[in-house]
Amino acid sequence: MLAIQILINALVLGCLYACIAIGFSLVWGVLNVINLIHGSFVVLGAYLGWALYQWLGLLPWYALLIAGPLFFVLGYGVQRAILNRVITAPVLVTLTLTFGLDLILNNAMLYFFKADYRKLILVPPMGQVSLFGVVVPVDRLMATALALVLTGLLYLILRQTRVGRAIIAVRLDRDAAVLMGVDVRNIYAVAFGLGAALAGTAGVLMALIFPISPLTSDGYLGKAFVVCVLGGLGSVSGALAGGLLLALIEGIGSAEIGPAHATTLSFVLLIVFLIVRPQGLLGRRGFE
Amino acid sequence: MNRMRFVSTLAAMAVAAFSVTPAVAADIVRIGAPLPLTGPLAPEAIKQQQGYNLWAEQANKDGGISIGGKKYKVEIVYADYQSNTPRAIQATEQLITQDKVDFMFSPFGSGAAKAASSVSEKYKVPTIAASASSVQVYDQGYKYLFGTFTPNDTLTTPLTKLVKAKAPDVKRVAILARNDLFPLAIAQEMEQSAKKNGLEVAYFEKYAIGTLDHSATLSQIKSLAPQWIFITGYINDLLLVRKQMVDQQIKATVVTMIAGPAYKEFIEGAGPSAENVTSASWWHPAEQYEGKDVFGSTANFVKLWREKYQSDPDYGQASAAVSGALFQIALERAGAVDREKVREELAKLDVVTFYGPIKFGPTGQVNSYDPPVFQIQGAKPIVLVPEQIKQGELKLGVN
Repeated sequence: MLAIQILINALVLGCLYACIAIGFSLVWGVLNVINLIHGSFVVLGAYLGWALYQWLGLLPWYALLIAGPLFFVLGYGVQRAILNRVITAPVLVTLTLTFGLDLILNNAMLYFFKADYRKLILVPPMGQVSLFGVVVPVDRLMATALALVLTGLLYLILRQTRVGRAIIAVRLDRDAAVLMGVDVRNIYAVAFGLGAALAGTAGVLMALIFPISPLTSDGYLGKAFVVCVLGGLGSVSGALAGGLLLALIEGIGSAEIGPAHATTLSFVLLIVFLIVRPQGLLGRRGFE
Repeated sequence: MNRMRFVSTLAAMAVAAFSVTPAVAADIVRIGAPLPLTGPLAPEAIKQQQGYNLWAEQANKDGGISIGGKKYKVEIVYADYQSNTPRAIQATEQLITQDKVDFMFSPFGSGAAKAASSVSEKYKVPTIAASASSVQVYDQGYKYLFGTFTPNDTLTTPLTKLVKAKAPDVKRVAILARNDLFPLAIAQEMEQSAKKNGLEVAYFEKYAIGTLDHSATLSQIKSLAPQWIFITGYINDLLLVRKQMVDQQIKATVVTMIAGPAYKEFIEGAGPSAENVTSASWWHPAEQYEGKDVFGSTANFVKLWREKYQSDPDYGQASAAVSGALFQIALERAGAVDREKVREELAKLDVVTFYGPIKFGPTGQVNSYDPPVFQIQGAKPIVLVPEQIKQGELKLGVN
């Protein structure tokens, strides 16, 4: 029974990890930008979810509908105004730039929201479902379901829409895409906007689960990074696979060799993957 | 290289010599305070800063502190070490050699305080640690380091005795500790205390700093059915663990968490799940001491705090404030801004303050008061022990 409980815990956690990582994977895969603001976007989304519930009583499910467009505009703006200027520069330049932007955003959040930890507490609480002695909290379950929906939505956008095909075209061959009449700068901004929207909506869901503070952004960014390396860039399902793998390793690791070493184990796995299978579990060159 | 080192040692000695006899223009006592004002420990640092600032404000009220018939203003020189312990050491060195402070407050927590203590010892700068409780900080044979937190076992021993007396059904304990100096030290102290009192320690594990999920660990604890669950960490860890305990429907007769429940943010963040969680800390606003320090009574300190910050002070904030007040007493008694004299005064201090009676033991760590054990009842911390300031009885059962 304990083993099943640990397995279920890991499955749910894996979907949450995937939800955190998917936007990061998109931006990295398409723009070749390691977007270090990602963690802060997640935290900002969490604050938005918290504030909307605290002040307007708006449940996080509805807050997603506000957070999505809002973060898309924010991300689109950041890419258009700032990142596009250096997008063709070596990866270190964009890395440094997003690092700087992250410092600004994170410290702005510290300034406005303070470093105090907050928590979104639903009244009444959502409770848990239990089946044959295995307990799963409903809020995590809902967040997991929504994470899957968001992931599916991104998959559909990339496969079915013109803009989605254009994103993939740019990823596959930038120059050819230009020749085909694709407005590359616009597509970069759209991809970054989508990444930000996914980060923001993930944040709204995380507000239900984790304590909220600007200081938690590094934790999210770290997980997103590991998930991308494990799952592989360039596919929506890669983030899901990476998230599940990471959560399973952490869960089994902390049960078998103790929670102190679970993180170590996941990083050992990361190194092994970098050496043996650098493209990750499901990595491909194009995006779908 | 050797020549360089010689020169820098000379320079350092010169600096040290000059600052002992300050020929500074204005009559100011400068105290260095390296704090993790940014980074993961920022919430704790801000609390300490508030404590130092309130003291400085009080000390400067009537023109400053009277030292040898002259008034001296107090100035606290802050340095942010960004929650990075190696930088705390650099910041301490910089405060002493470049900013030329007269005295020092330690950086936050046992780990950083221990690391930085060797710097202030080297320059012979009297230093008060406002947030270091582990004996390992004080057992280095240092002469210039003093601390306002009693050793960790003074928290766990009264707690275990209380649980043993009021909850005889409690036989099995599970302990989960953040793998960090203070949280781990107090968990180990708890393990010993439990064993000494005939309790079975069914589970003892550490979790890594920055752990985002405790579900696997908690499932394991649940399967062992302990009656007492003891978890250490800081506010974010404890909020997360408490939420996940509810998620997994883990119930126990007693749930103890150190060191978060004393803070308002924990009670707000945990909401109804904070109810009946027990904890222990070094100070509580319900205490009633009539002190000889600048704040006078505990009640007056709480009143001043509420006026300035519109909230109730917690033990970290109070400890920071009393650290300043102790420097003030030592300076007044020494009659000069002289590091040696102030160190001597601190070492022989035996005084009642708003924070409690203060007397430093031979290692420099205070050993003169009983820290309170409390429980969250009706969203408020209620003191259970010691008897003199007791506000309620231990309630059993945490859901």
